Amino acid sequence: MNCEKIAELLPDYLQAGLSVDQKKIVEGHLESCVECREVAGLWKKLALIPDEQPSAEGRVRFEAMLQAYQTGRGTEGMPRRNGREHASIWNVFQWLRSPVGAMAWSIVLVVLGTYIGMQLGNTKSNSQQDLAAMHTELTNMRQMVALSMLQQQSASQRLEGVTWTRREEQLDPQVLSALMHTLRYDPSVDVRLAALDALSRHAGQPQVKKTVVDALQEQQSPLVQVALIDQLVEWRDAEAAPRLEKLRETPNLNPTVRQRADWAISKLN
Amino acid sequence: MLQVRDGAGETLGVLFERYHAPLYNFYTKLTGDRALSEDLVQEVFLRILRHRQTFRDGTPFRAWIYQIARNTRIDHFRKSRPQVPFEPEMAPTVTPGDPAQQRQESELLHKALMELPEEKRELLVLCRFQELPYEDVARLVGCGVATVKVRIHRAMQELRQIFHQLQAAPAGSGPRAAAQNVPPRRMT
Repeated sequence: MNCEKIAELLPDYLQAGLSVDQKKIVEGHLESCVECREVAGLWKKLALIPDEQPSAEGRVRFEAMLQAYQTGRGTEGMPRRNGREHASIWNVFQWLRSPVGAMAWSIVLVVLGTYIGMQLGNTKSNSQQDLAAMHTELTNMRQMVALSMLQQQSASQRLEGVTWTRREEQLDPQVLSALMHTLRYDPSVDVRLAALDALSRHAGQPQVKKTVVDALQEQQSPLVQVALIDQLVEWRDAEAAPRLEKLRETPNLNPTVRQRADWAISKLN
Repeated sequence: MLQVRDGAGETLGVLFERYHAPLYNFYTKLTGDRALSEDLVQEVFLRILRHRQTFRDGTPFRAWIYQIARNTRIDHFRKSRPQVPFEPEMAPTVTPGDPAQQRQESELLHKALMELPEEKRELLVLCRFQELPYEDVARLVGCGVATVKVRIHRAMQELRQIFHQLQAAPAGSGPRAAAQNVPPRRMT
Protein backbone atom coordinates (compact mmCIF):
# COMPACT_ATOMS: atom_id res chain seq x y z
CA MET A 1 0.00 0.00 0.00
CA ASN A 2 1.37 3.43 -0.90
CA CYS A 3 1.58 6.60 1.20
CA GLU A 4 -1.56 8.11 -0.28
CA LYS A 5 -3.65 5.14 0.82
CA ILE A 6 -1.94 5.07 4.20
CA ALA A 7 -2.64 8.79 4.62
CA GLU A 8 -6.33 7.90 4.83
CA LEU A 9 -5.68 5.48 7.67
CA LEU A 10 -2.87 7.22 9.50
CA PRO A 11 -4.97 9.77 11.43
CA ASP A 12 -7.11 6.95 12.84
CA TYR A 13 -3.97 4.93 13.56
CA LEU A 14 -2.61 7.88 15.53
CA GLN A 15 -5.75 8.02 17.65
CA ALA A 16 -5.83 4.22 18.00
CA GLY A 17 -9.08 4.04 16.05
CA LEU A 18 -8.25 1.24 13.60
CA SER A 19 -9.31 -2.38 13.50
CA VAL A 20 -6.63 -5.02 14.10
CA ASP A 21 -6.32 -5.75 10.38
CA GLN A 22 -6.04 -2.09 9.38
CA LYS A 23 -3.50 -1.54 12.13
CA LYS A 24 -1.36 -4.36 10.73
CA ILE A 25 -1.51 -2.82 7.25
CA VAL A 26 -0.38 0.58 8.56
CA GLU A 27 2.40 -0.89 10.70
CA GLY A 28 3.60 -2.93 7.71
CA HIS A 29 3.84 0.28 5.70
CA LEU A 30 5.59 2.17 8.50
CA GLU A 31 8.36 -0.43 8.55
CA SER A 32 9.21 0.33 4.93
CA CYS A 33 8.43 4.08 4.69
CA VAL A 34 10.69 6.56 6.48
CA GLU A 35 8.43 9.60 6.03
CA CYS A 36 5.26 8.01 7.37
CA ARG A 37 7.25 6.44 10.21
CA GLU A 38 8.55 9.89 11.10
CA VAL A 39 5.05 11.33 11.13
CA ALA A 40 3.85 8.55 13.44
CA GLY A 41 6.95 8.99 15.60
CA LEU A 42 6.45 12.73 15.78
CA TRP A 43 2.84 12.23 16.92
CA LYS A 44 4.14 10.15 19.82
CA LYS A 45 6.92 12.62 20.56
CA LEU A 46 4.41 15.44 20.90
CA ALA A 47 3.72 13.87 24.29
CA LEU A 48 7.19 15.08 25.26
CA ILE A 49 5.84 18.61 25.45
CA PRO A 50 4.73 18.50 29.06
CA ASP A 51 1.51 19.94 30.37
CA GLU A 52 1.85 22.96 32.60
CA GLN A 53 0.09 23.76 35.82
CA PRO A 54 -1.82 27.03 35.92
CA SER A 55 -0.84 29.37 38.72
CA ALA A 56 -2.67 29.51 42.05
CA GLU A 57 -3.71 33.06 41.18
CA GLY A 58 -6.11 31.69 38.57
CA ARG A 59 -8.00 29.78 41.23
CA VAL A 60 -8.19 32.87 43.46
CA ARG A 61 -9.56 34.93 40.58
CA PHE A 62 -12.10 32.26 39.74
CA GLU A 63 -13.28 32.05 43.34
CA ALA A 64 -13.64 35.84 43.47
CA MET A 65 -15.69 35.75 40.29
CA LEU A 66 -17.88 32.94 41.62
CA GLN A 67 -18.38 34.74 44.90
CA ALA A 68 -19.38 37.87 43.01
CA TYR A 69 -21.88 35.82 41.06
CA GLN A 70 -23.33 34.22 44.20
CA THR A 71 -23.64 37.66 45.80
CA GLY A 72 -25.63 38.85 42.83
CA ARG A 73 -27.96 35.87 43.00
CA GLY A 74 -28.35 36.10 46.77
CA THR A 75 -29.84 39.56 46.60
CA GLU A 76 -32.29 39.05 43.81
CA GLY A 77 -34.94 36.73 45.33
CA MET A 78 -35.97 35.52 41.92
CA PRO A 79 -38.26 32.61 41.29
CA ARG A 80 -35.94 29.67 40.66
CA ARG A 81 -36.14 27.21 37.86
CA ASN A 82 -37.31 23.92 39.18
CA GLY A 83 -36.35 20.87 37.17
CA ARG A 84 -38.52 19.60 34.39
CA GLU A 85 -41.47 21.71 35.42
CA HIS A 86 -39.80 24.62 33.67
CA ALA A 87 -38.68 22.94 30.51
CA SER A 88 -39.15 25.33 27.62
CA ILE A 89 -41.83 23.36 25.78
CA TRP A 90 -43.85 23.21 28.98
CA ASN A 91 -43.47 26.97 29.39
CA VAL A 92 -44.82 27.61 25.93
CA PHE A 93 -47.66 25.18 26.55
CA GLN A 94 -48.54 26.94 29.79
CA TRP A 95 -48.40 30.27 28.03
CA LEU A 96 -50.67 29.05 25.24
CA ARG A 97 -53.29 28.27 27.89
CA SER A 98 -53.21 31.84 29.19
CA PRO A 99 -55.69 34.41 27.76
CA VAL A 100 -52.96 36.23 25.80
CA GLY A 101 -51.63 32.96 24.47
CA ALA A 102 -55.09 31.89 23.42
CA MET A 103 -55.53 35.14 21.54
CA ALA A 104 -52.18 34.72 19.75
CA TRP A 105 -53.07 31.15 18.92
CA SER A 106 -56.38 32.34 17.48
CA ILE A 107 -54.58 34.84 15.27
CA VAL A 108 -52.32 32.09 13.98
CA LEU A 109 -55.34 29.96 13.15
CA VAL A 110 -57.09 32.84 11.40
CA VAL A 111 -53.96 33.65 9.38
CA LEU A 112 -53.47 30.03 8.45
CA GLY A 113 -57.15 29.63 7.61
CA THR A 114 -57.07 32.70 5.40
CA TYR A 115 -53.97 31.46 3.63
CA ILE A 116 -55.36 27.98 3.02
CA GLY A 117 -58.67 29.49 1.86
CA MET A 118 -56.85 31.68 -0.63
CA GLN A 119 -54.83 28.77 -1.90
CA LEU A 120 -57.97 26.69 -2.40
CA GLY A 121 -59.67 29.60 -4.12
CA ASN A 122 -56.75 29.75 -6.53
CA THR A 123 -56.32 33.52 -6.24
CA LYS A 124 -52.92 33.48 -7.93
CA SER A 125 -52.73 37.17 -8.77
CA ASN A 126 -52.61 38.21 -5.16
CA SER A 127 -50.52 35.34 -3.82
CA GLN A 128 -47.36 37.42 -3.30
CA GLN A 129 -49.26 40.10 -1.42
CA ASP A 130 -51.06 37.46 0.61
CA LEU A 131 -47.80 35.84 1.58
CA ALA A 132 -46.33 39.18 2.60
CA ALA A 133 -49.43 39.97 4.65
CA MET A 134 -49.27 36.60 6.33
CA HIS A 135 -45.59 37.08 7.07
CA THR A 136 -46.35 40.43 8.70
CA GLU A 137 -49.13 38.86 10.75
CA LEU A 138 -46.81 36.12 11.94
CA THR A 139 -44.12 38.63 12.83
CA ASN A 140 -46.63 40.64 14.83
CA MET A 141 -47.83 37.51 16.52
CA ARG A 142 -44.29 36.46 17.49
CA GLN A 143 -43.60 39.90 18.90
CA MET A 144 -46.81 39.74 20.87
CA VAL A 145 -45.81 36.35 22.23
CA ALA A 146 -42.45 37.79 23.28
CA LEU A 147 -44.08 40.80 24.90
CA SER A 148 -46.51 38.65 26.81
CA MET A 149 -43.86 36.20 27.98
CA LEU A 150 -41.63 39.04 29.20
CA GLN A 151 -44.40 39.94 31.62
CA GLN A 152 -44.82 36.46 33.14
CA GLN A 153 -44.21 35.67 36.80
CA SER A 154 -41.78 32.85 36.20
CA ALA A 155 -38.18 33.77 35.38
CA SER A 156 -37.88 30.85 32.97
CA GLN A 157 -40.93 32.09 31.05
CA ARG A 158 -39.47 35.57 30.84
CA LEU A 159 -36.25 33.98 29.61
CA GLU A 160 -38.29 32.26 26.95
CA GLY A 161 -39.76 35.65 26.05
CA VAL A 162 -36.28 37.09 25.54
CA THR A 163 -35.50 34.14 23.27
CA TRP A 164 -38.57 34.93 21.17
CA THR A 165 -37.32 38.47 20.59
CA ARG A 166 -34.17 37.06 19.00
CA ARG A 167 -36.18 35.61 16.16
CA GLU A 168 -36.85 39.05 14.73
CA GLU A 169 -34.44 41.30 12.88
CA GLN A 170 -36.49 44.40 13.63
CA LEU A 171 -38.27 44.78 16.92
CA ASP A 172 -41.50 46.59 17.51
CA PRO A 173 -40.81 49.70 19.67
CA GLN A 174 -43.04 48.27 22.38
CA VAL A 175 -41.04 45.02 22.50
CA LEU A 176 -37.74 46.89 22.43
CA SER A 177 -38.96 49.02 25.29
CA ALA A 178 -39.98 45.88 27.25
CA LEU A 179 -36.54 44.37 26.66
CA MET A 180 -34.84 47.50 27.95
CA HIS A 181 -37.12 47.47 30.98
CA THR A 182 -36.20 43.82 31.52
CA LEU A 183 -32.50 44.63 31.40
CA ARG A 184 -32.89 47.29 34.05
CA TYR A 185 -35.47 45.90 36.40
CA ASP A 186 -35.94 42.15 35.99
CA PRO A 187 -35.31 40.45 39.35
CA SER A 188 -33.41 37.56 37.73
CA VAL A 189 -29.74 37.87 36.78
CA ASP A 190 -30.22 35.25 34.07
CA VAL A 191 -33.07 37.16 32.44
CA ARG A 192 -31.17 40.45 32.62
CA LEU A 193 -28.14 38.84 31.00
CA ALA A 194 -30.28 37.31 28.27
CA ALA A 195 -31.94 40.69 27.69
CA LEU A 196 -28.54 42.30 27.30
CA ASP A 197 -27.54 39.69 24.72
CA ALA A 198 -30.77 40.29 22.82
CA LEU A 199 -30.33 44.07 22.95
CA SER A 200 -26.76 43.83 21.69
CA ARG A 201 -28.21 43.16 18.22
CA HIS A 202 -30.01 46.49 18.24
CA ALA A 203 -27.09 48.82 18.91
CA GLY A 204 -28.33 51.00 16.03
CA GLN A 205 -31.16 52.22 18.23
CA PRO A 206 -29.80 55.15 20.28
CA GLN A 207 -32.00 54.42 23.29
CA VAL A 208 -30.52 50.92 23.54
CA LYS A 209 -26.99 52.22 24.10
CA LYS A 210 -28.28 54.79 26.56
CA THR A 211 -30.12 52.10 28.52
CA VAL A 212 -27.02 49.94 28.72
CA VAL A 213 -24.92 52.86 29.95
CA ASP A 214 -27.58 53.86 32.49
CA ALA A 215 -27.86 50.26 33.71
CA LEU A 216 -24.19 50.35 34.70
CA GLN A 217 -24.92 52.40 37.79
CA GLU A 218 -28.17 50.67 38.64
CA GLN A 219 -27.10 47.04 38.55
CA GLN A 220 -26.01 45.35 41.74
CA SER A 221 -24.98 42.00 40.30
CA PRO A 222 -21.26 41.95 39.43
CA LEU A 223 -21.94 39.42 36.70
CA VAL A 224 -24.37 41.78 34.96
CA GLN A 225 -22.04 44.71 35.51
CA VAL A 226 -19.19 42.83 33.85
CA ALA A 227 -21.47 41.85 30.95
CA LEU A 228 -22.55 45.50 30.50
CA ILE A 229 -18.93 46.66 30.52
CA ASP A 230 -18.00 44.02 27.93
CA GLN A 231 -20.88 45.12 25.74
CA LEU A 232 -19.80 48.75 25.84
CA VAL A 233 -16.27 47.75 24.84
CA GLU A 234 -17.71 45.59 22.05
CA TRP A 235 -19.62 48.63 20.78
CA ARG A 236 -16.51 50.81 21.25
CA ASP A 237 -18.77 53.38 22.86
CA ALA A 238 -16.28 56.11 23.78
CA GLU A 239 -19.04 58.11 25.50
CA ALA A 240 -19.27 55.34 28.07
CA ALA A 241 -15.76 56.03 29.41
CA PRO A 242 -16.82 58.83 31.85
CA ARG A 243 -19.64 56.61 33.17
CA LEU A 244 -17.17 53.80 33.69
CA GLU A 245 -14.91 56.19 35.57
CA LYS A 246 -17.86 57.05 37.77
CA LEU A 247 -18.67 53.39 38.28
CA ARG A 248 -15.17 52.50 39.40
CA GLU A 249 -15.39 55.20 42.08
CA THR A 250 -18.46 53.53 43.59
CA PRO A 251 -17.77 52.56 47.19
CA ASN A 252 -17.72 48.79 47.89
CA LEU A 253 -17.62 48.00 44.19
CA ASN A 254 -16.75 44.37 43.54
CA PRO A 255 -12.98 44.15 42.78
CA THR A 256 -13.59 42.07 39.63
CA VAL A 257 -15.95 44.75 38.31
CA ARG A 258 -13.49 47.51 39.14
CA GLN A 259 -10.71 45.61 37.35
CA ARG A 260 -12.97 45.12 34.32
CA ALA A 261 -13.93 48.80 34.33
CA ASP A 262 -10.23 49.77 34.36
CA TRP A 263 -9.60 47.47 31.43
CA ALA A 264 -12.59 48.91 29.55
CA ILE A 265 -11.51 52.51 30.18
CA SER A 266 -8.07 51.72 28.78
CA LYS A 267 -9.70 50.20 25.69
CA LEU A 268 -12.13 53.05 25.09
CA ASN A 269 -9.71 55.95 25.61
CA MET B 1 -23.40 21.22 33.73
CA LEU B 2 -27.16 20.87 33.88
CA GLN B 3 -26.98 21.96 37.53
CA VAL B 4 -24.90 24.99 36.57
CA ARG B 5 -27.40 25.81 33.87
CA ASP B 6 -30.28 25.59 36.29
CA GLY B 7 -28.70 27.99 38.72
CA ALA B 8 -26.37 26.01 41.00
CA GLY B 9 -23.39 28.33 40.61
CA GLU B 10 -21.35 26.38 43.15
CA THR B 11 -21.31 23.41 40.74
CA LEU B 12 -19.19 25.57 38.49
CA GLY B 13 -16.39 25.02 41.02
CA VAL B 14 -16.43 21.32 40.12
CA LEU B 15 -16.18 22.17 36.43
CA PHE B 16 -13.32 24.53 37.19
CA GLU B 17 -11.44 21.76 38.99
CA ARG B 18 -11.88 19.45 36.06
CA TYR B 19 -11.26 21.79 33.16
CA HIS B 20 -9.13 24.74 34.16
CA ALA B 21 -5.78 22.93 33.70
CA PRO B 22 -6.72 21.37 30.32
CA LEU B 23 -8.04 24.72 29.11
CA TYR B 24 -4.93 26.49 30.35
CA ASN B 25 -2.78 24.01 28.39
CA PHE B 26 -5.01 24.39 25.35
CA TYR B 27 -4.25 28.10 25.39
CA THR B 28 -0.55 27.92 26.28
CA LYS B 29 0.08 25.50 23.43
CA LEU B 30 -1.84 27.72 21.05
CA THR B 31 -0.57 31.12 22.09
CA GLY B 32 2.68 30.46 23.97
CA ASP B 33 1.62 33.17 26.41
CA ARG B 34 1.04 32.06 30.01
CA ALA B 35 -0.44 35.30 31.35
CA LEU B 36 -2.84 35.53 28.43
CA SER B 37 -3.79 31.87 28.86
CA GLU B 38 -4.72 32.52 32.50
CA ASP B 39 -6.89 35.46 31.42
CA LEU B 40 -8.60 33.44 28.70
CA VAL B 41 -9.40 30.58 31.09
CA GLN B 42 -11.07 33.08 33.44
CA GLU B 43 -13.02 34.47 30.52
CA VAL B 44 -14.20 30.98 29.55
CA PHE B 45 -15.68 30.35 33.00
CA LEU B 46 -17.27 33.78 33.03
CA ARG B 47 -18.86 32.99 29.67
CA ILE B 48 -20.08 29.63 30.95
CA LEU B 49 -21.92 31.50 33.70
CA ARG B 50 -23.28 34.08 31.33
CA HIS B 51 -24.31 31.73 28.56
CA ARG B 52 -25.18 28.62 30.52
CA GLN B 53 -28.79 28.86 29.39
CA THR B 54 -27.64 27.98 25.88
CA PHE B 55 -26.41 24.56 27.01
CA ARG B 56 -28.80 21.87 25.85
CA ASP B 57 -29.32 18.56 27.56
CA GLY B 58 -27.62 15.81 25.56
CA THR B 59 -24.90 18.09 24.11
CA PRO B 60 -21.38 16.69 24.71
CA PHE B 61 -20.09 19.01 27.41
CA ARG B 62 -16.42 18.84 26.40
CA ALA B 63 -17.26 19.90 22.88
CA TRP B 64 -19.41 22.74 24.25
CA ILE B 65 -16.71 24.06 26.58
CA TYR B 66 -14.07 23.92 23.82
CA GLN B 67 -16.45 25.77 21.54
CA ILE B 68 -16.60 28.53 24.15
CA ALA B 69 -12.81 28.37 24.52
CA ARG B 70 -12.30 28.77 20.77
CA ASN B 71 -14.73 31.66 20.54
CA THR B 72 -13.10 33.37 23.51
CA ARG B 73 -9.70 33.20 21.83
CA ILE B 74 -11.06 34.33 18.47
CA ASP B 75 -12.84 37.28 20.10
CA HIS B 76 -9.71 38.18 22.04
CA PHE B 77 -7.49 38.31 18.97
CA ARG B 78 -10.16 40.11 17.01
CA LYS B 79 -10.21 42.85 19.63
CA SER B 80 -6.58 43.16 20.58
CA ARG B 81 -2.99 42.21 20.13
CA PRO B 82 -1.57 39.70 17.67
CA GLN B 83 0.05 36.49 18.83
CA VAL B 84 3.58 36.64 20.14
CA PRO B 85 6.39 34.78 18.35
CA PHE B 86 7.88 31.79 20.11
CA GLU B 87 10.60 32.53 22.64
CA PRO B 88 12.63 29.84 24.45
CA GLU B 89 11.16 30.81 27.83
CA MET B 90 7.70 29.90 26.54
CA ALA B 91 8.70 26.24 26.54
CA PRO B 92 7.07 24.38 29.39
CA THR B 93 9.15 23.86 32.50
CA VAL B 94 10.77 20.48 32.16
CA THR B 95 10.96 18.33 35.26
CA PRO B 96 14.49 17.83 36.71
CA GLY B 97 14.53 14.13 35.85
CA ASP B 98 14.29 14.73 32.09
CA PRO B 99 17.37 13.71 30.13
CA ALA B 100 19.02 16.60 28.29
CA GLN B 101 18.34 15.19 24.83
CA GLN B 102 14.68 14.67 25.58
CA ARG B 103 14.41 18.19 26.92
CA GLN B 104 16.06 19.58 23.81
CA GLU B 105 13.76 17.57 21.56
CA SER B 106 10.72 18.73 23.50
CA GLU B 107 11.76 22.38 23.15
CA LEU B 108 12.40 21.95 19.45
CA LEU B 109 9.06 20.25 18.95
CA HIS B 110 7.27 22.97 20.85
CA LYS B 111 8.98 25.54 18.71
CA ALA B 112 7.98 23.63 15.56
CA LEU B 113 4.39 23.51 16.82
CA MET B 114 4.40 27.26 17.31
CA GLU B 115 5.70 27.72 13.75
CA LEU B 116 2.71 25.91 12.30
CA PRO B 117 -0.08 28.04 10.83
CA GLU B 118 -2.67 28.72 13.50
CA GLU B 119 -5.47 26.53 12.11
CA LYS B 120 -3.18 23.52 11.84
CA ARG B 121 -1.75 24.09 15.29
CA GLU B 122 -5.22 24.32 16.75
CA LEU B 123 -6.24 21.03 15.15
CA LEU B 124 -3.19 19.25 16.55
CA VAL B 125 -3.70 20.73 20.00
CA LEU B 126 -7.35 19.66 20.04
CA CYS B 127 -6.72 16.14 18.73
CA ARG B 128 -3.35 15.31 20.27
CA PHE B 129 -3.16 17.22 23.53
CA GLN B 130 -6.81 17.64 24.44
CA GLU B 131 -7.53 14.19 22.99
CA LEU B 132 -10.84 15.20 21.48
CA PRO B 133 -12.24 12.62 19.04
CA TYR B 134 -12.19 13.65 15.38
CA GLU B 135 -16.01 13.75 15.41
CA ASP B 136 -16.02 16.40 18.16
CA VAL B 137 -13.30 18.41 16.44
CA ALA B 138 -15.23 18.28 13.17
CA ARG B 139 -18.29 19.71 14.95
CA LEU B 140 -16.13 22.38 16.60
CA VAL B 141 -14.47 23.66 13.45
CA GLY B 142 -17.55 23.14 11.29
CA CYS B 143 -16.41 20.59 8.74
CA GLY B 144 -16.68 16.87 8.06
CA VAL B 145 -14.77 14.17 9.94
CA ALA B 146 -12.95 13.14 6.75
CA THR B 147 -11.79 16.75 6.27
CA VAL B 148 -10.44 16.85 9.81
CA LYS B 149 -8.42 13.69 9.15
CA VAL B 150 -6.99 15.09 5.94
CA ARG B 151 -6.07 18.33 7.72
CA ILE B 152 -4.47 16.43 10.60
CA HIS B 153 -2.37 14.49 8.14
CA ARG B 154 -1.28 17.68 6.37
CA ALA B 155 -0.54 19.38 9.67
CA MET B 156 1.66 16.46 10.72
CA GLN B 157 3.51 16.56 7.40
CA GLU B 158 4.17 20.25 7.85
CA LEU B 159 5.19 19.80 11.47
CA ARG B 160 7.67 17.15 10.35
CA GLN B 161 9.14 19.54 7.79
CA ILE B 162 9.48 22.40 10.26
CA PHE B 163 10.96 20.05 12.86
CA HIS B 164 13.62 18.92 10.37
CA GLN B 165 14.38 22.51 9.45
CA LEU B 166 14.84 23.43 13.09
CA GLN B 167 17.04 20.41 13.73
CA ALA B 168 19.24 21.32 10.78
CA ALA B 169 19.36 25.04 11.53
CA PRO B 170 22.17 26.42 13.71
CA ALA B 171 20.97 27.69 17.07
CA GLY B 172 19.32 31.08 16.85
CA SER B 173 18.46 30.96 13.16
CA GLY B 174 14.93 30.44 11.89
CA PRO B 175 13.61 27.40 10.09
CA ARG B 176 13.48 29.20 6.74
CA ALA B 177 17.29 29.44 6.73
CA ALA B 178 17.56 25.67 6.67
CA ALA B 179 14.85 25.02 4.15
CA GLN B 180 17.29 23.37 1.76
CA ASN B 181 18.04 20.66 4.30
CA VAL B 182 14.48 19.36 4.49
CA PRO B 183 14.24 15.77 3.36
CA PRO B 184 12.04 15.70 0.25
CA ARG B 185 8.65 14.13 0.59
CA ARG B 186 8.74 10.79 -1.16
CA MET B 187 5.64 8.98 -2.32
CA THR B 188 6.13 5.23 -2.26
